Amino acid sequence: MPSPNVSGQAYAFMAMTPITPGEEQPLATYLRGLRERGARPLAKLPRTHIGRFVIVPDFHNDPAWKQPREEHLDLHYLIFTSNFDGDLDSYLDELCEKLAPEAKEIWGRCVGCPASAEGADLKRYLKHNQIDTGLFFAAYGDATVGQVERALRQRERMIDFAISAQGLEPEALQQAFLAQFGGGD
Amino acid sequence: MSAQASPAGPITATGTHPRNYDGQVIAITVFSTIKWWGRAFLPALFQITRRVPRLTATLRQLSFIHFARWSVIGRLPYNGPPQREGRFRYPHMYFESNFNGGWEEYIDAFSHILTSGMTAFWGSSYGFPKPLPTAPFKAYIQANETEADHYYCAYPDATSTMIQRALELETKLAPLRRNGERMAPDEFAAAYRSFLTDVQHCL
Repeated sequence: MPSPNVSGQAYAFMAMTPITPGEEQPLATYLRGLRERGARPLAKLPRTHIGRFVIVPDFHNDPAWKQPREEHLDLHYLIFTSNFDGDLDSYLDELCEKLAPEAKEIWGRCVGCPASAEGADLKRYLKHNQIDTGLFFAAYGDATVGQVERALRQRERMIDFAISAQGLEPEALQQAFLAQFGGGD
Repeated sequence: MSAQASPAGPITATGTHPRNYDGQVIAITVFSTIKWWGRAFLPALFQITRRVPRLTATLRQLSFIHFARWSVIGRLPYNGPPQREGRFRYPHMYFESNFNGGWEEYIDAFSHILTSGMTAFWGSSYGFPKPLPTAPFKAYIQANETEADHYYCAYPDATSTMIQRALELETKLAPLRRNGERMAPDEFAAAYRSFLTDVQHCL
């Protein structure tokens, strides 16, 4: 039985780490500011399809829901999830190396994170805080990021070709097609 | 680090906080608190759903989903003080989805197409109002939703449908790419027309 974190070749990683009291707002400011600065740190990990950072301040409690007792988080928590290609160990190796500057700003504000916030220490910390997935759905879990990007580019080229090749005689059509798409896989 | 990509096509993502978008893709992040019986029921449900692929076939019908996941969390790993150690009083379900389109349309589609599945997945959560009618259910999801602080997609211009069609196109294009050179022009033209008819929905 494959791991519930896996669908096809895609892996669903989740780490939920407690934020050091007093660091909640600076962390939120940093994470929200990434986009304002045009920064996309997860782009440095080319195996990442989709990822997110979410600060969870508390659970929601509503008296109308007839929950016998309220439940609150003890601290604010940072959730990091990533949907990526391949195995977890090598992905975290890449993350802990390539994201070292950002990791210091992100997990460096979390309880128990090693002071260096990089390399093997950070990897151990993230694995320690991993939450296993119960059910993972991946619509195209067999395709890597590279394959998705290549297929999208090829689709664009095919659309352009289909339009431009209208009305071509068979020989010209074949030559044009082979010039664009020839050469097999 | 590259700058934020600007989508080539029209943005279809609507109905949620801007931090939950990256191009066409929308993040939804929801925690719900589970009743005592959900602690055993949900893991069993997840396992059955994993083992019987046809149970996720309906999810595939919702072709605007890229990735989705559910987890039941009974306790969090301990990292030392000031974190409190121990189990939660109630288990909590984490749900995230990455989809394109509108937030409202997404919940509508989930509620109408996956009515029984939604009841199975959220029926053990406190406050779950049933998927239909959708208004109370949307209010429930909104109450439990947390906005992303940073959200990233490697291909923000692409919808899930576009990706699945592009991958299908690639598979169907391969034989023509492989054999096109060996065909006579008339034979090639016929094969090309047949290919175009076959992949019209992918373009």
